Amino acid sequence: MKKVLIFFALFSVTFMGLAQNNDRFTSLFNGRDLVGWNMPGKVPGFEVVDGILVASPRNGSELFTEEQYGNFVFKFEYLLSEVGNSGVLIRCNPENPWGTGVEVQLLAPWTPYRDDLHCTGSIYGYVAVNNRPDETTGIWHEMEIKCDRKRITISVDGAVTTTADIDTVKSMQGKNLTGFIGFQSNHSKEGEYAHFRNISILDLDNDPEYVKKGFYSEDPEIRKQAMEVSVFKGSSMVKVLIQMMDEDNTMAQAGAKQALFDIVAGISAPNAIGKERVVVAKMLKEQSMDSTSEITAEYLKWLLEMLNRTITG
Amino acid sequence: MSLKSKIDRRNFLKTTGVGVIGFPFVVNGFTKMAASDKIRVAHIGTGNMGGSHIRWFSAFPDVETVALCDVDEVRLANARKVLVSSNSSANPELYSDFRRIIDRKDIDVVTCATPDHWHALVAISAFESGKDVYGEKPLSFSAQEGKVMLQSLKKYNRIFQLGTQIHASENYHRVAEIIQSGALGKIHTVRLWKKGGSPGLGFPPNETPPETLNWNMWLGPAPYTEYTPVRCHGSYRHFFDYSGGVFADFWCHIADIMYMSVHPQGLASIDARGDIPGDGIANTPKWIDVDFKFKDLDVYWTTTPPKVPGAEEMGIGAHFEGEKGTLTCDYNNRVISIGGETTNDISEISQTIPRSPGHQRNFLDAVKSRIQPESNLEYVREMTLPMHLALISFRLKRKLQWDCVKEEFVNDPAANFLLSREYRSPWSLPVY
Repeated sequence: MKKVLIFFALFSVTFMGLAQNNDRFTSLFNGRDLVGWNMPGKVPGFEVVDGILVASPRNGSELFTEEQYGNFVFKFEYLLSEVGNSGVLIRCNPENPWGTGVEVQLLAPWTPYRDDLHCTGSIYGYVAVNNRPDETTGIWHEMEIKCDRKRITISVDGAVTTTADIDTVKSMQGKNLTGFIGFQSNHSKEGEYAHFRNISILDLDNDPEYVKKGFYSEDPEIRKQAMEVSVFKGSSMVKVLIQMMDEDNTMAQAGAKQALFDIVAGISAPNAIGKERVVVAKMLKEQSMDSTSEITAEYLKWLLEMLNRTITG
Repeated sequence: MSLKSKIDRRNFLKTTGVGVIGFPFVVNGFTKMAASDKIRVAHIGTGNMGGSHIRWFSAFPDVETVALCDVDEVRLANARKVLVSSNSSANPELYSDFRRIIDRKDIDVVTCATPDHWHALVAISAFESGKDVYGEKPLSFSAQEGKVMLQSLKKYNRIFQLGTQIHASENYHRVAEIIQSGALGKIHTVRLWKKGGSPGLGFPPNETPPETLNWNMWLGPAPYTEYTPVRCHGSYRHFFDYSGGVFADFWCHIADIMYMSVHPQGLASIDARGDIPGDGIANTPKWIDVDFKFKDLDVYWTTTPPKVPGAEEMGIGAHFEGEKGTLTCDYNNRVISIGGETTNDISEISQTIPRSPGHQRNFLDAVKSRIQPESNLEYVREMTLPMHLALISFRLKRKLQWDCVKEEFVNDPAANFLLSREYRSPWSLPVY
C-alpha cells in the first residue's frame, strides 16, 4: 500500500509538473487587435477578423513579435485557403528576416505541389520534412516549433515532421540564434489567405538556470546566444550571473562579466525603461555587499556607479 | 640601492604630488640646452617596444641612458643586456618602481613603453618632476587621462612626443602636402581600415604570478584581478581593463595621416558596430566598424578594407575622397586618382611641409629647443579622442552624439561615465 502511495505521489508530481509547463505558455494574440506585434512595412499584411488573425493582402507587411526570443516553444493553429502560402519566421531580424532567420513553411499542396524541402513543416529551403504532415486546406491544424539552442523540432497536429541540428545544416551556418518571430503575409495570389488563432509561446529562457547552461557550452555560438538572451531578460538574469562570476571557471566568469556589462549598457540607454534600472541597481548593490570575492564586488560597484549616473541623471 | 630609492611610497606621494597636488619643482626645461649637451634618458617599461626605445635612443651621440625600469625582473635584466650590447660603456641604474626614476633630479627624459593603463601616470609624474617624455601609443587608457596629461604638460612646461614613428615618414608628409594643395578638391569622406582584430586568447586558468613579476604594480591603477599569462606581457591590449585592442593600437597610426592632411573638426556623432572575440577571456573588438560625422567630413573605420581600388592589398590604410579625385595610402605607398588617371605623385605640387629628422631625433631636438615636436601632446590628444569615443559606442552598442565644445556625450550619462575610470587605490589622477 505504501509503495502504491509513493507511486501515486510521484505520478501526481509529474503530472502537476506537466500541467505547470502547459500553464507557462503565454498567449501572444488577444483575438481583438495586434497589441504585442509590429507590422513594419508600409502596406499592412494582417488584420484581426472575428477573433482570427488574417493574412490576406498580397505581399503586405510581415508581422513580428515585439519581443526577441532565443529558445522557445511557439505554437498556434492555422488554416490555409485553397492555394494559401504563408510561413513562420524564426530568430530573425525584421530588417532582413530571410537573411538572418529561417522560415517554417505553411503551404497548400497544390500551389503547384512542392517537394519535402518546401512543403508545410519544412524549414523552407534548408531542412526537409521527414514525416509529411496533413496538408488539407480549409481546416484548422496545429503547429508547434521548438527551438532549443541548436536543435529545432517542428510538429504538425501532434506529430513531429522535421528535426534539425543546425550544426549539421551547412546552409544554415551564420543564422541568428536569437531574434523575433514573425508571420509571413499572404504570399499567394490576391484573394488567398492564411488564418491564425491560439498563438502562444513557452519562453525557455524565462528560466535563468536554462540560460545559465548556455554559458558553459563548448560551442561559442551557444555562449553568445546565452549572452544575448541575458540582455533581453535583464534583471531576472543578474543574480545567476553574479554567482557565476564567483565560480572558479574562467569561461563562466568571462561570460557572466560581459553579460552583466551588456545588461547595464542596454538599460543605461537614454530611451530605456527607468524601472528596470532601479531594479538592477538594487540587485548590484545588494550583491556587491554579499559577494565573497573582492574582485566581483569591485566590478559590481563599478557597474552600479555607471547605472546610478543614469538614475540620478 | 641609492638613497633616493629608499624613500617610502607614502613619503613619495606627499612630496611629488602624483595624485595629490602638484609640488613646487625647479623645472630645468625653462632654459634651452645647448645642442651639444647630453640628454640623460631613462626607459620605463622594457618589453617589446621598450627594447626598441633602448636601441633607438642609445644610438644618439647626445644621449646617455642612465636608468631602466621594469616591474618584471627578467625583462629588466634583459633590457640591461640590450643596452650594453649597443653601448658597452653604458652603466644604467636598474629600478623596479618607476617612482624612483621620477625622484631623480639628474634625469632629463623618460620614455614610456608600459601597457596603456600606466601611460598617463608615468607621463604626468614625469612632467611634475620636470622631465620630458617620449611615450608609446596609444596616448592614454581613457579620454579623460589625455585631457589631464595635456593640462599637466602645459602647467609644467614640458615636451612630449607620442611614439607614432610613422608620422615622421616621407610618405605621410607628402600625402599631407598633396591633399592640402587642393589637387583632389575639398575632401568630404575619409575611409580608414585595419584588417583583423583582437583574438579571444582562450580560457586559461588563473595562476600565481611568477616571483620575478610584481603583478600588483603591473596592474597599478587598473582593477585588481587574478593573474594569468595572457593578461600580461604581449597580449594585455586585448583587455578593456588595460587597453582597447587592435583598434586602439592602430588607430593612431592611420588616423594620423587623416589629421595631418585634413585635420577633422567638429565631431558630432559616433556610431560603432562590432563584436567581441567570444572565444576567450579577452574582450576588445574582434571587429569594429565606426561611422564618424565631423563638420563637413564623414569618416568611416572598418575592419575589412573598403571597396575602393588598391585597398584590398593594404592591411592598414586611408582613402581620401575629394570633389576632384581620391588618394589611397598606407605607411609607405600612395595612389592618387584624378579624372580616371592614377599616379603616385604630382610633381607640380611643391614641398611645403618641413620633413622630420626622424621621430626620436625630432623629440630630442624639441627637448633642447623647447619647441614641441611633430606628434606633440596637443595634436595627438585630439587625434586619439575619436578612438576612445568609438570604443564607448562599441561597448554600449549604440550611436552617440558628441558635444565637441564641452567634450561630453549629449544626453548619455553612462557614456560620459566611460570617458574616465577611477583608479585603484592608492593611485589617482591629479586634478589641476
